[in-house]
Amino acid sequence: MSNVEGKARAITVLSPVRPGWPLWLHGLFFAGTHLTFSLKKLQQLSFIHYARWAIVERRWPGGDRPRGKRQRYRYLLFESNFNGSWDEYIDAFSEVVPTRMRLIWGSSYGFPGPLPVEPFKAYIRKNELPIDHYYSAYPAATTTEVISALEVARAFESFIARSRGLAGADFKRSYEDFLFEVQHHL
Amino acid sequence: MSDRAGQACALTVLAPIERGRQDLLRTLLQGLPTGAESPLARAPGTHFARWVVVPQLVYQGPPQKRDELDLAYLMFTSNFDGPLEPYLDALCGPMGEAADAIWGCCIGWPGLGDPASAKAYLLRNRLATSLFVAGYPQARLPEVLRALELRERVTRFAIGAQGQGAESLALAWRQEFGGP
Repeated sequence: MSNVEGKARAITVLSPVRPGWPLWLHGLFFAGTHLTFSLKKLQQLSFIHYARWAIVERRWPGGDRPRGKRQRYRYLLFESNFNGSWDEYIDAFSEVVPTRMRLIWGSSYGFPGPLPVEPFKAYIRKNELPIDHYYSAYPAATTTEVISALEVARAFESFIARSRGLAGADFKRSYEDFLFEVQHHL
Repeated sequence: MSDRAGQACALTVLAPIERGRQDLLRTLLQGLPTGAESPLARAPGTHFARWVVVPQLVYQGPPQKRDELDLAYLMFTSNFDGPLEPYLDALCGPMGEAADAIWGCCIGWPGLGDPASAKAYLLRNRLATSLFVAGYPQARLPEVLRALELRERVTRFAIGAQGQGAESLALAWRQEFGGP
Protein backbone atom coordinates (compact mmCIF):
# COMPACT_ATOMS: atom_id res chain seq x y z
CA MET A 1 0.00 0.00 0.00
CA SER A 2 1.56 3.28 -1.06
CA ASN A 3 0.48 6.77 -1.91
CA VAL A 4 4.00 7.71 -2.98
CA GLU A 5 5.85 7.04 -6.24
CA GLY A 6 9.14 8.90 -6.37
CA LYS A 7 8.30 12.59 -5.90
CA ALA A 8 4.63 12.03 -6.74
CA ARG A 9 2.03 11.66 -4.01
CA ALA A 10 -1.57 10.62 -4.27
CA ILE A 11 -4.59 11.49 -2.18
CA THR A 12 -8.10 10.02 -2.50
CA VAL A 13 -10.92 11.38 -0.35
CA LEU A 14 -14.55 10.23 -0.29
CA SER A 15 -17.01 12.18 1.86
CA PRO A 16 -20.83 12.04 2.29
CA VAL A 17 -22.72 15.00 0.84
CA ARG A 18 -25.52 16.50 2.90
CA PRO A 19 -28.98 16.30 1.32
CA GLY A 20 -29.84 19.38 -0.71
CA TRP A 21 -26.24 20.20 -1.52
CA PRO A 22 -25.60 18.13 -4.67
CA LEU A 23 -27.35 20.74 -6.81
CA TRP A 24 -25.06 23.38 -5.34
CA LEU A 25 -22.02 21.22 -6.10
CA HIS A 26 -23.12 20.61 -9.69
CA GLY A 27 -23.52 24.39 -10.17
CA LEU A 28 -20.20 25.10 -8.52
CA PHE A 29 -18.33 22.56 -10.64
CA PHE A 30 -20.07 23.77 -13.78
CA ALA A 31 -18.86 27.29 -13.00
CA GLY A 32 -15.41 25.92 -12.18
CA THR A 33 -15.19 24.22 -15.55
CA HIS A 34 -16.62 27.00 -17.68
CA LEU A 35 -15.39 30.14 -15.94
CA THR A 36 -11.62 29.89 -16.28
CA PHE A 37 -10.89 32.55 -13.64
CA SER A 38 -12.37 30.26 -11.00
CA LEU A 39 -9.82 27.56 -11.89
CA LYS A 40 -6.86 29.91 -12.00
CA LYS A 41 -6.12 29.81 -8.27
CA LEU A 42 -6.15 26.03 -8.26
CA GLN A 43 -3.85 25.90 -11.28
CA GLN A 44 -1.55 28.32 -9.51
CA LEU A 45 -0.98 25.69 -6.84
CA SER A 46 2.09 24.69 -8.78
CA PHE A 47 2.54 21.34 -7.09
CA ILE A 48 -0.58 19.73 -8.57
CA HIS A 49 -0.06 17.50 -11.62
CA TYR A 50 -3.71 16.47 -11.95
CA ALA A 51 -6.71 16.67 -9.62
CA ARG A 52 -10.42 15.95 -9.94
CA TRP A 53 -13.70 16.12 -8.13
CA ALA A 54 -16.59 13.81 -8.93
CA ILE A 55 -20.00 13.16 -7.39
CA VAL A 56 -20.97 9.54 -6.78
CA GLU A 57 -24.74 9.37 -7.21
CA ARG A 58 -26.87 7.42 -4.72
CA ARG A 59 -27.00 4.43 -7.06
CA TRP A 60 -23.42 3.20 -7.29
CA PRO A 61 -22.35 1.38 -10.47
CA GLY A 62 -23.41 -2.24 -10.44
CA GLY A 63 -20.77 -4.16 -12.38
CA ASP A 64 -22.85 -6.15 -14.85
CA ARG A 65 -26.02 -5.41 -12.91
CA PRO A 66 -28.07 -2.43 -14.14
CA ARG A 67 -27.31 -0.53 -10.93
CA GLY A 68 -25.89 -1.11 -7.48
CA LYS A 69 -27.50 -0.57 -4.10
CA ARG A 70 -29.13 2.80 -3.50
CA GLN A 71 -27.12 4.60 -0.81
CA ARG A 72 -28.57 7.08 1.64
CA TYR A 73 -26.28 9.90 0.44
CA ARG A 74 -24.34 11.08 -2.57
CA TYR A 75 -20.58 11.13 -2.08
CA LEU A 76 -17.93 13.63 -3.08
CA LEU A 77 -14.76 12.11 -4.52
CA PHE A 78 -11.52 14.06 -4.61
CA GLU A 79 -8.35 12.64 -6.08
CA SER A 80 -5.06 14.44 -6.60
CA ASN A 81 -1.55 13.79 -7.84
CA PHE A 82 0.92 16.26 -6.41
CA ASN A 83 4.44 16.68 -5.11
CA GLY A 84 5.58 17.74 -1.67
CA SER A 85 4.41 16.39 1.66
CA TRP A 86 0.82 15.60 2.59
CA ASP A 87 0.93 18.28 5.32
CA GLU A 88 2.23 20.96 2.95
CA TYR A 89 -0.51 20.08 0.49
CA ILE A 90 -3.35 20.46 2.98
CA ASP A 91 -1.70 23.58 4.43
CA ALA A 92 -1.71 25.15 0.96
CA PHE A 93 -5.37 24.30 0.43
CA SER A 94 -6.18 25.77 3.79
CA GLU A 95 -4.14 28.96 3.37
CA VAL A 96 -4.29 29.71 -0.37
CA VAL A 97 -7.79 28.64 -1.41
CA PRO A 98 -9.82 28.45 1.84
CA THR A 99 -12.97 29.89 0.27
CA ARG A 100 -12.97 27.30 -2.51
CA MET A 101 -12.41 24.53 0.03
CA ARG A 102 -15.32 25.80 2.09
CA LEU A 103 -17.54 26.06 -1.00
CA ILE A 104 -16.75 22.48 -2.04
CA TRP A 105 -16.30 20.45 1.17
CA GLY A 106 -18.78 22.60 3.09
CA SER A 107 -21.34 20.38 1.34
CA SER A 108 -20.06 17.30 3.22
CA TYR A 109 -21.05 16.04 6.65
CA GLY A 110 -18.46 16.70 9.33
CA PHE A 111 -16.41 19.28 7.44
CA PRO A 112 -14.91 21.56 10.09
CA GLY A 113 -13.88 24.37 7.70
CA PRO A 114 -10.42 24.94 6.17
CA LEU A 115 -9.17 27.01 9.10
CA PRO A 116 -7.71 26.30 11.58
CA VAL A 117 -5.82 23.69 9.61
CA GLU A 118 -5.50 20.89 12.20
CA PRO A 119 -9.22 19.94 12.32
CA PHE A 120 -9.24 20.19 8.50
CA LYS A 121 -6.31 17.75 8.32
CA ALA A 122 -8.03 15.40 10.76
CA TYR A 123 -11.13 15.48 8.56
CA ILE A 124 -9.16 14.67 5.41
CA ARG A 125 -7.31 11.85 7.22
CA LYS A 126 -10.58 10.36 8.41
CA ASN A 127 -12.07 10.35 4.91
CA GLU A 128 -8.93 9.45 2.98
CA LEU A 129 -8.77 6.04 1.27
CA PRO A 130 -5.52 4.06 1.31
CA ILE A 131 -4.16 3.43 -2.18
CA ASP A 132 -3.45 -0.15 -3.20
CA HIS A 133 -1.41 0.56 -6.32
CA TYR A 134 -0.11 3.90 -7.57
CA TYR A 135 1.64 4.69 -10.84
CA SER A 136 3.43 7.74 -12.17
CA ALA A 137 5.04 7.83 -15.62
CA TYR A 138 7.65 10.36 -14.45
CA PRO A 139 8.11 9.82 -10.73
CA ALA A 140 11.37 11.79 -10.56
CA ALA A 141 9.74 15.05 -11.68
CA THR A 142 7.78 17.63 -9.74
CA THR A 143 5.01 19.64 -11.42
CA THR A 144 7.29 22.67 -11.60
CA GLU A 145 10.03 20.58 -13.22
CA VAL A 146 7.59 19.32 -15.86
CA ILE A 147 6.40 22.85 -16.65
CA SER A 148 10.01 24.09 -16.75
CA ALA A 149 11.04 21.22 -19.02
CA LEU A 150 8.23 22.08 -21.44
CA GLU A 151 9.44 25.71 -21.47
CA VAL A 152 13.01 24.58 -22.15
CA ALA A 153 11.81 22.35 -25.00
CA ARG A 154 9.87 25.24 -26.54
CA ALA A 155 12.85 27.62 -26.28
CA PHE A 156 15.19 24.91 -27.55
CA GLU A 157 13.19 24.47 -30.76
CA SER A 158 13.18 28.21 -31.31
CA PHE A 159 16.95 28.43 -30.65
CA ILE A 160 17.65 25.58 -33.07
CA ALA A 161 15.66 27.40 -35.77
CA ARG A 162 17.31 30.79 -35.31
CA SER A 163 20.87 29.50 -34.85
CA ARG A 164 20.82 27.40 -38.00
CA GLY A 165 23.81 28.39 -40.13
CA LEU A 166 25.41 30.51 -37.39
CA ALA A 167 29.02 29.92 -36.38
CA GLY A 168 31.60 31.32 -34.01
CA ALA A 169 30.67 34.53 -32.18
CA ASP A 170 27.21 34.71 -33.80
CA PHE A 171 26.37 31.22 -32.55
CA LYS A 172 27.68 32.06 -29.09
CA ARG A 173 25.52 35.20 -28.89
CA SER A 174 22.46 33.24 -29.93
CA TYR A 175 23.29 30.48 -27.42
CA GLU A 176 23.65 33.04 -24.63
CA ASP A 177 20.25 34.50 -25.52
CA PHE A 178 18.81 30.98 -25.31
CA LEU A 179 20.44 30.38 -21.93
CA PHE A 180 19.16 33.73 -20.65
CA GLU A 181 15.66 32.73 -21.73
CA VAL A 182 15.70 29.34 -20.00
CA GLN A 183 17.97 30.00 -17.00
CA HIS A 184 15.08 29.98 -14.54
CA HIS A 185 13.90 26.64 -15.91
CA LEU A 186 17.15 24.69 -15.61
CA MET B 1 -19.39 16.30 -17.10
CA SER B 2 -15.86 17.57 -17.43
CA ASP B 3 -13.51 14.70 -18.15
CA ARG B 4 -11.16 16.85 -20.21
CA ALA B 5 -8.70 19.65 -19.55
CA GLY B 6 -6.89 20.57 -22.76
CA GLN B 7 -5.91 17.25 -24.28
CA ALA B 8 -5.75 15.55 -20.87
CA CYS B 9 -8.54 13.17 -19.86
CA ALA B 10 -9.76 11.83 -16.53
CA LEU B 11 -11.24 8.37 -16.13
CA THR B 12 -12.85 7.03 -12.95
CA VAL B 13 -14.23 3.50 -12.81
CA LEU B 14 -16.05 2.17 -9.76
CA ALA B 15 -16.80 -1.56 -9.90
CA PRO B 16 -18.30 -3.78 -7.17
CA ILE B 17 -15.99 -6.52 -5.91
CA GLU B 18 -17.35 -10.04 -5.68
CA ARG B 19 -18.15 -11.02 -2.13
CA GLY B 20 -15.18 -12.71 -0.46
CA ARG B 21 -12.59 -11.54 -3.00
CA GLN B 22 -11.66 -8.21 -1.42
CA ASP B 23 -8.61 -9.52 0.47
CA LEU B 24 -7.36 -11.44 -2.55
CA LEU B 25 -7.68 -8.33 -4.71
CA ARG B 26 -5.88 -6.17 -2.15
CA THR B 27 -3.01 -8.65 -1.97
CA LEU B 28 -2.84 -8.76 -5.75
CA LEU B 29 -2.80 -4.97 -6.14
CA GLN B 30 -0.27 -4.40 -3.38
CA GLY B 31 1.99 -7.07 -4.87
CA LEU B 32 2.07 -5.53 -8.36
CA PRO B 33 5.46 -4.32 -9.53
CA THR B 34 5.76 -0.54 -9.42
CA GLY B 35 7.36 2.13 -11.60
CA ALA B 36 8.19 1.15 -15.17
CA GLU B 37 7.23 -2.46 -14.38
CA SER B 38 3.69 -1.54 -13.30
CA PRO B 39 1.03 -2.93 -15.65
CA LEU B 40 -0.18 0.66 -15.99
CA ALA B 41 3.08 1.51 -17.76
CA ARG B 42 1.79 -0.70 -20.59
CA ALA B 43 -1.22 1.53 -21.19
CA PRO B 44 0.29 4.26 -23.43
CA GLY B 45 -0.51 7.83 -22.44
CA THR B 46 -0.98 7.14 -18.72
CA HIS B 47 0.51 10.00 -16.69
CA PHE B 48 -0.82 9.00 -13.25
CA ALA B 49 -3.19 6.22 -12.22
CA ARG B 50 -4.24 4.28 -9.14
CA TRP B 51 -6.34 1.40 -7.88
CA VAL B 52 -8.09 1.82 -4.56
CA VAL B 53 -10.25 -0.71 -2.74
CA VAL B 54 -13.19 1.05 -1.07
CA PRO B 55 -14.13 -1.39 1.71
CA GLN B 56 -16.83 0.70 3.36
CA LEU B 57 -18.12 4.26 3.73
CA VAL B 58 -16.91 6.48 6.55
CA TYR B 59 -19.49 7.49 9.16
CA GLN B 60 -19.07 11.09 10.31
CA GLY B 61 -21.32 10.84 13.35
CA PRO B 62 -24.63 12.68 13.98
CA PRO B 63 -26.48 14.34 12.32
CA GLN B 64 -25.40 12.00 9.51
CA LYS B 65 -27.22 8.67 9.49
CA ARG B 66 -25.28 5.47 8.94
CA ASP B 67 -24.83 4.52 5.29
CA GLU B 68 -23.19 1.26 4.31
CA LEU B 69 -22.12 -0.40 1.08
CA ASP B 70 -23.40 -3.91 0.53
CA LEU B 71 -20.23 -4.74 -1.41
CA ALA B 72 -16.70 -3.36 -1.40
CA TYR B 73 -15.76 -1.44 -4.56
CA LEU B 74 -12.66 -1.20 -6.70
CA MET B 75 -11.91 2.35 -7.77
CA PHE B 76 -9.63 3.00 -10.73
CA THR B 77 -8.62 6.52 -11.64
CA SER B 78 -6.36 7.57 -14.47
CA ASN B 79 -5.05 10.84 -15.89
CA PHE B 80 -4.11 10.19 -19.49
CA ASP B 81 -3.72 11.55 -23.01
CA GLY B 82 -7.12 11.74 -24.66
CA PRO B 83 -9.31 10.73 -26.30
CA LEU B 84 -10.94 8.02 -24.21
CA GLU B 85 -11.66 5.30 -26.80
CA PRO B 86 -8.05 4.41 -27.71
CA TYR B 87 -7.13 4.54 -24.05
CA LEU B 88 -9.81 1.99 -23.21
CA ASP B 89 -8.39 -0.17 -26.01
CA ALA B 90 -5.00 0.08 -24.30
CA LEU B 91 -6.46 -0.86 -20.92
CA CYS B 92 -8.16 -3.84 -22.47
CA GLY B 93 -5.17 -4.78 -24.64
CA PRO B 94 -1.55 -4.26 -23.57
CA MET B 95 -2.36 -4.57 -19.87
CA GLY B 96 -3.52 -8.07 -20.66
CA GLU B 97 -3.32 -10.56 -17.84
CA ALA B 98 -2.99 -7.96 -15.09
CA ALA B 99 -6.25 -6.24 -16.09
CA ASP B 100 -8.00 -9.59 -16.22
CA ALA B 101 -6.70 -10.65 -12.82
CA ILE B 102 -7.66 -7.32 -11.21
CA TRP B 103 -11.08 -6.62 -12.69
CA GLY B 104 -11.71 -10.34 -12.69
CA CYS B 105 -12.35 -9.90 -8.94
CA CYS B 106 -15.27 -7.58 -9.79
CA ILE B 107 -18.85 -8.60 -10.43
CA GLY B 108 -19.55 -9.29 -14.07
CA TRP B 109 -16.10 -8.61 -15.60
CA PRO B 110 -16.38 -10.28 -19.00
CA GLY B 111 -12.66 -10.92 -19.41
CA LEU B 112 -10.28 -9.67 -22.07
CA GLY B 113 -11.12 -12.62 -24.25
CA ASP B 114 -14.00 -10.34 -25.23
CA PRO B 115 -12.36 -6.88 -25.48
CA ALA B 116 -15.52 -5.14 -26.72
CA SER B 117 -17.46 -6.33 -23.67
CA ALA B 118 -14.54 -5.42 -21.37
CA LYS B 119 -14.55 -1.87 -22.77
CA ALA B 120 -18.31 -1.68 -22.38
CA TYR B 121 -17.92 -2.84 -18.77
CA LEU B 122 -15.46 -0.05 -17.97
CA LEU B 123 -17.76 2.51 -19.61
CA ARG B 124 -20.83 1.19 -17.77
CA ASN B 125 -19.08 1.52 -14.43
CA ARG B 126 -17.51 4.86 -15.22
CA LEU B 127 -18.08 7.86 -13.01
CA ALA B 128 -18.44 11.31 -14.60
CA THR B 129 -15.85 13.86 -13.52
CA SER B 130 -17.29 17.11 -12.23
CA LEU B 131 -14.15 19.24 -12.20
CA PHE B 132 -10.76 18.31 -13.64
CA VAL B 133 -7.61 20.36 -13.08
CA ALA B 134 -4.38 19.72 -14.99
CA GLY B 135 -1.05 21.44 -14.32
CA TYR B 136 0.05 21.18 -17.99
CA PRO B 137 -3.14 20.26 -19.86
CA GLN B 138 -1.77 20.47 -23.41
CA ALA B 139 1.28 18.23 -22.94
CA ARG B 140 1.02 14.60 -24.02
CA LEU B 141 3.10 11.99 -22.26
CA PRO B 142 5.79 11.52 -24.95
CA GLU B 143 6.23 15.30 -25.06
CA VAL B 144 6.63 15.46 -21.25
CA LEU B 145 9.17 12.63 -21.22
CA ARG B 146 11.16 14.18 -24.09
CA ALA B 147 11.12 17.60 -22.43
CA LEU B 148 12.32 16.24 -19.07
CA GLU B 149 15.20 14.45 -20.77
CA LEU B 150 16.09 17.51 -22.86
CA ARG B 151 16.06 19.77 -19.81
CA GLU B 152 18.59 17.50 -18.13
CA ARG B 153 20.84 17.46 -21.20
CA VAL B 154 20.69 21.23 -21.62
CA THR B 155 21.45 21.73 -17.92
CA ARG B 156 24.45 19.38 -18.10
CA PHE B 157 25.66 21.09 -21.26
CA ALA B 158 25.27 24.60 -19.85
CA ILE B 159 27.32 23.68 -16.78
CA GLY B 160 30.02 21.94 -18.82
CA ALA B 161 30.24 24.70 -21.46
CA GLN B 162 30.81 27.57 -19.07
CA GLY B 163 33.77 29.73 -20.09
CA GLN B 164 34.25 28.07 -23.48
CA GLY B 165 35.32 30.16 -26.49
CA ALA B 166 32.95 30.69 -29.42
CA GLU B 167 34.41 28.02 -31.70
CA SER B 168 34.68 25.27 -29.07
CA LEU B 169 31.20 26.12 -27.79
CA ALA B 170 29.66 25.66 -31.25
CA LEU B 171 31.61 22.42 -31.70
CA ALA B 172 30.55 21.08 -28.31
CA TRP B 173 26.90 21.98 -29.05
CA ARG B 174 27.01 20.18 -32.39
CA GLN B 175 28.49 17.11 -30.71
CA GLU B 176 25.78 17.06 -28.05
CA PHE B 177 22.72 18.15 -30.00
CA GLY B 178 23.67 17.98 -33.67
CA GLY B 179 22.70 21.02 -35.71
CA PRO B 180 24.32 23.93 -37.38
